[in-house]
Amino acid sequence: MTTPIIEARGVGQTYKLPRTKLIGRRERLAALTDVDFHAMPGEAVGLVGESGSGKSTLTRILVGQERPTSGVMAFQGSNVWELDRAAHREFRRSVQVVLQNPRSSLDPRMRIGSSLVQPLRALRVETDPHARIREVLDQVGLGPDVLTKYPHEFSGGQLQRIAIARALMPHPKVVIADEPVSALDVSIQAQVLNLLKDLVTELGLTLVLIAHDLSVVAYTTSRVAVMSGGRIVETGRPAELFRNPTAPATQALVDSVLTVEDGLTGKALT
Amino acid sequence: MSDTTMAPGALPADGVPRRRRRWNASLLVGMVMTGAFLAIALLSLVWTPADPNQVAPRDRLLPAGSAGHLLGTDALGRDVASALMAGAWTSIVVAAGAALIALVLGTISGLAATSNRQYVNETVMRGADILLSMPGVVFALVLAATIGAGVGATIFALSVFFTPSFTRVVRAAALRVLEEDFVTAAALYGRRRLFILARHVVPNIFSVMIVQFTLYFAVGILTEAGLSYLGVGVTRPEVSWGILLKEAQETVGVASPLAIWPGLAIVFAVLGLNILGDGLRDVLDPRLRRRKS
Amino acid sequence: MTELVLDVRDLVVRRDDLVAVRGVSLQVRAGQRVGVVGESGAGKSLTALAIMGLLQPGWRAEGQVLHDGVDLTKISDKAFSSRRGRTLSMVFQDPLSALNPTQRIGAQITGVLRRHTRVSRDEARRQALDLLVQMRLPRPEQMLRAYPHELSGGQRQRVMIAIALACYPQLIIADEPTTALDVTVQKQVLRLLDGAVKERGCALLMITHDLPVVAAMCDYVLVMYGGRVVEEGPVATVFRTPRHPYTKGLLESQPTLDNIGLDGTGRLPSIRGSVPPLHAMPSGCAFRTRCDRADGRCETVPVLEGTESRAACWHPVSVATPAGAR
Repeated sequence: MTTPIIEARGVGQTYKLPRTKLIGRRERLAALTDVDFHAMPGEAVGLVGESGSGKSTLTRILVGQERPTSGVMAFQGSNVWELDRAAHREFRRSVQVVLQNPRSSLDPRMRIGSSLVQPLRALRVETDPHARIREVLDQVGLGPDVLTKYPHEFSGGQLQRIAIARALMPHPKVVIADEPVSALDVSIQAQVLNLLKDLVTELGLTLVLIAHDLSVVAYTTSRVAVMSGGRIVETGRPAELFRNPTAPATQALVDSVLTVEDGLTGKALT
Repeated sequence: MSDTTMAPGALPADGVPRRRRRWNASLLVGMVMTGAFLAIALLSLVWTPADPNQVAPRDRLLPAGSAGHLLGTDALGRDVASALMAGAWTSIVVAAGAALIALVLGTISGLAATSNRQYVNETVMRGADILLSMPGVVFALVLAATIGAGVGATIFALSVFFTPSFTRVVRAAALRVLEEDFVTAAALYGRRRLFILARHVVPNIFSVMIVQFTLYFAVGILTEAGLSYLGVGVTRPEVSWGILLKEAQETVGVASPLAIWPGLAIVFAVLGLNILGDGLRDVLDPRLRRRKS
Repeated sequence: MTELVLDVRDLVVRRDDLVAVRGVSLQVRAGQRVGVVGESGAGKSLTALAIMGLLQPGWRAEGQVLHDGVDLTKISDKAFSSRRGRTLSMVFQDPLSALNPTQRIGAQITGVLRRHTRVSRDEARRQALDLLVQMRLPRPEQMLRAYPHELSGGQRQRVMIAIALACYPQLIIADEPTTALDVTVQKQVLRLLDGAVKERGCALLMITHDLPVVAAMCDYVLVMYGGRVVEEGPVATVFRTPRHPYTKGLLESQPTLDNIGLDGTGRLPSIRGSVPPLHAMPSGCAFRTRCDRADGRCETVPVLEGTESRAACWHPVSVATPAGAR
């Protein structure tokens, strides 16, 4: 059996709450309790849950933004927080992120071309930046004319493509997409989801897709973890979860999916 | 003259881009007024009608329009027009100098105060609070008493007095930028905080910094005049509008126009800078305008 | 035919030479539920804001918005506010900014009641309590004394609906009422809105980007694109047999559970390109730059045509082929 490319083992996260009393210990809030989550190389995994379920906290741990208070966050089998400098940079390079709001994820005062080379510079990736930019723009379906423009000249969907392009720049192995379509228009959502799917198959990428919408995750991934109350309550193939949800949280998410067909047949609100 | 462009940053929820004017009346008027003020100040460096410190006992208190003295002379026969021109330069050196120092110090401290380390944050902000709670004029009086009055001391006093406001403004603006996803993204591809602050935050708060600088330039002119009037700012042989006001006061019964000229100059320069500041704010940062109105 | 509670005729919303809404006409009859769908940039939100008299400074509405015998674009702000909450009321996307943060929930509801109806303080309080109960808010007695920030997003939106319903308005305009809510509470809020509207027999104008929400809530739909209505008709007709390629594309690109193949195996149809910015909206049919059927004819603006449903398209999708297998 191969090692997962990224893995959270028994991860817990607690936050200190602001002081309420002058003397005495600060209260703690458990955001995650004993979470196991992993993604195999080339796999597309989904993470769903309502807001407050802990999926944002888990996302921050997966991308190495926060150190868990207990458990291990591992990249290719080794603990991310115990890596030496070179190995840590390799982790940073290999795990790239696409964030929810494309308007906010590109610096408005930076030309697109400049934004795209930033990861290469920051991670000191030895590659011809111009060739890499051409390659990546081609992969996300954009032309070289975008490079000299500023973010405000683009629509949300185009910006999300650019954000995906930036994530691809340093040849990552894993792309973690945090609600990548929830800020986009319906007709654009499909484009971006299709693009993410193509990247998984064509580049052999590992995709972790975090979303609140079960149908988005079901469309894009082959395995889904459902979070609720800081724990993973159910994991399985999307089709299974849809047909036989066992955990109440999964049931609630399945029930919340609203379709045109249900609406037309009057079943939506019953 | 009215060219329009789309504002950078987020499209509003309705998806309709807010267009903004690249030019507006305030900007134009402010630029013309401030430009005139700067031009006169620069001219005074190479040419004034007469030496502003040249005493001429025979020509005391000449009225405006006298031969060779466009705006007349003061109680010692010195040329008022020349003194006003030289005073303009002093105002710029003192006020812009102090505002510039405050801008630099305020930017550094304001950015430092966005630190995740609570003690850095607290130290800087409480320091700013202490400075803000000290009356600037009293501070300047103490300073003048200890290191002596003069241009350098005035700049120093003003910049200490201004810095905390810059710190606060820069910090607030920087915190807004730091919440943006591109900052998170940069941190995740390995950018250090200093790089993020320099390359991502500063360009995005630059407009706020410029507007703040312009407005404090104006405050500096007013405060400098006040300090010099009290005798703890600039002193002769340097000439400043505050000194002229102070000297005019002594002859106010005999030659009231003497107080009017420096007064008008101050009003003109301060008004020009304030209008310019408003204009810049409207053009550079529509968000600030909306909050203001 | 029942009477019209809202009759919008040829509404144009513009700022200087920037035209965001290019002649929209829509009618809402008493008790009817009308949905306006479209993506960002379609002009739906500005249409709603223009109807409600809440356009941002600089924007101007032309045309007629007839409601209760008056043209809302012509009356004063004062006359308008005497109607808001009484004959027509609104539910917004973000309930937190629509509620007064410094006033208790109870005071906000009774305030609306006492401003528009002659009821005593006690009676208003009793009605407010009834409304909160009807909106299934937990511990309604305490809720009356709570401030907006103490409530969850779903609870706040239910309070907004309660305020909107308080005076039995003829028409409720809801602008993306569930977009900002957590998915699991969306349905619940829609259900409550649905029940309350049904019970009071008021008409509903629902503005949303969400097709399933329209399918669930409305009986008539207008699809907007590029500032115009491109298709309208009874919801079932439009959604089952879309005639405008844009409507068809929108319906097909919905990720649902049965049409795409689960477990990441299927592929979603999508509309190519993206909505052009307002100042670069194509002449003629605005959709032509993204449409596979477009040709030279589409450079002229098509008019809405049809019997049961009407589409503004020179090359409408044939009615015989329903969109997808939905």
